[in-house]
Amino acid sequence: MEGQVIANAFQNAYWGFPIALYFWLVGASAGSFVISTLGWVFGVKKYKPLALFASNTAIVALLIVPVLLIIDAGKPYRFFHLFIFAHWSAPMVWGSFLILTYPIAMGFYSFFVHKENQLWARRLGILAIVLALSTHWYTGVVMQLNPARLPNHTSVAPLLFLTGAYVSGIGLLILCLWLRNFLVTVTARVSPELMADMARLMLYGIVFDLFLLGNEFLQMTYGTGEERTILYEVLLGVFRWPYLYLEIVWGLLLPLIILVIPRTRRSLNGVLVAAFMTATGVYGMRIWWVMASQYYQGHF
Amino acid sequence: MADRLYGMGGVSSGKGRPGRKRYAMAIDLRRCTGCNACTAACKTHFDVPLGEWRIWVMETEVGKYPDTKRYVLPRLCNQCDDPPCIPVCPTQATFKHPDGFVLQRYNRCIGCRACMVACPYNARHLLPDHRRDKRNPRNVADKCDFCVVRVTRGLAPLCVTSCTGGALIFGDINDPESEVARTVRDNKVFTLRPELGTAPQVYYIGLNESIADPEFAFLNRSAQLRERYATFKRNSEVGGEMAGNIDESDMGFFGLVRQGLHNFGTFFAEAPKKFFRGLY
Repeated sequence: MEGQVIANAFQNAYWGFPIALYFWLVGASAGSFVISTLGWVFGVKKYKPLALFASNTAIVALLIVPVLLIIDAGKPYRFFHLFIFAHWSAPMVWGSFLILTYPIAMGFYSFFVHKENQLWARRLGILAIVLALSTHWYTGVVMQLNPARLPNHTSVAPLLFLTGAYVSGIGLLILCLWLRNFLVTVTARVSPELMADMARLMLYGIVFDLFLLGNEFLQMTYGTGEERTILYEVLLGVFRWPYLYLEIVWGLLLPLIILVIPRTRRSLNGVLVAAFMTATGVYGMRIWWVMASQYYQGHF
Repeated sequence: MADRLYGMGGVSSGKGRPGRKRYAMAIDLRRCTGCNACTAACKTHFDVPLGEWRIWVMETEVGKYPDTKRYVLPRLCNQCDDPPCIPVCPTQATFKHPDGFVLQRYNRCIGCRACMVACPYNARHLLPDHRRDKRNPRNVADKCDFCVVRVTRGLAPLCVTSCTGGALIFGDINDPESEVARTVRDNKVFTLRPELGTAPQVYYIGLNESIADPEFAFLNRSAQLRERYATFKRNSEVGGEMAGNIDESDMGFFGLVRQGLHNFGTFFAEAPKKFFRGLY
């Protein structure tokens, strides 16, 4: 039908850049912690030396999260209502308990890694990795369980979040390890070969992320009119910079190319560039995932 | 463009609680003149802040000159039987009253805005800090409550009493003799976004199925509305809680960076004030 809306209320987008940053930080923390557990939980010995640093990076990234969330709330002093009036059907309550327990478990894990207590490091590592994955899974679920919000309302959402977390966490960790190498003694440095090996793990995540995004793209292309409209807006319209350029091209395709060419994937510079691109590119995904649906419905 | 048949199911299947009232509203769009008396009455009574609405009127012009027709669509909280805002509220601040109202407990709300993201009708808003009367709730979610305080005292909601065309009909839909029950029974009624299964309790008579569609609203905004909307977005930082507001005309690379920095800037600049604007 031909026509135009000439008067309407203006709707706000209530979650924006800070919430996108929160999702990114939780993800980076989870991804970083996955690498930390490779040595002490999954028995990949070459990753043992960087376990403590990776775990501490994950803790630092996660400690910023409650600050962001509490500042973002309209009533910061009421944050404890999340626990005393907990409404168990709300994903935000699940997340509150996860964000509370996950850093504690990581802290204990770090302690036992520091003490080189294999038994308890493994036990705490298993617990913390379950909490790490759950914490980031819940951020996907928070967006997923809004039936009226497209494209968030898809069961792919938590997987997309987890994969993004995995790649951005490894990317962030590689950059932090590279910076750390300037500050520590030669013997404590992480070798470029190990960083290249981490980049290989990141590559698997990139491929899987592209696969998931391809599925999401297919679903929306063959979807309802609303889905196609939103797909246009994120792909070529208002959100083309966060989605197409920042996430797909900058965050996934270019690192993919760098990491499949043998010469660049073995060079430290190539690995660092790919790590930086992936870590920052995932923030593009967080932006359009949080804001596109609200922007679209801001006119209704 | 969606070509759904709105309200195929007529009255939602839920019947409310046995032995209780089930308040609902019917809006006869044939009688609505778009005068906005409902909006004004509601705004005045509840001190609804600038840029926020408990009830508003969406106006649409359909067709091409000279064959045009103007449709109006009063919008308010649909007091859904299965409201998406309730399960996502982490503190049980919002709840369904046995008589059908979807209500908000201001003293529990933490202002996380999950309910606003969940609501398919954009019927919720955040009350800003700068209210005319500081004793009124601030920094918490708010919504239309069908004027529960008036209704429990035997009065009709303000929008209903102020409606100049008599388009708004309110009452207990479980009472077969009530005006709203008769209206809903005797007319072809439609609800907004029935495909979401929220079972809205605001029924429309004479609803144009196209203009009641978010996709239509998104794709067919007038140029003036777009411009006013962009201006509104640029000027609407309320304590940083609306940091998702973007100016769509400035979303190139530099625009995105600029807006991101600006929104982060206001978010962090407002942060310290939040801790001093009322202890609890």
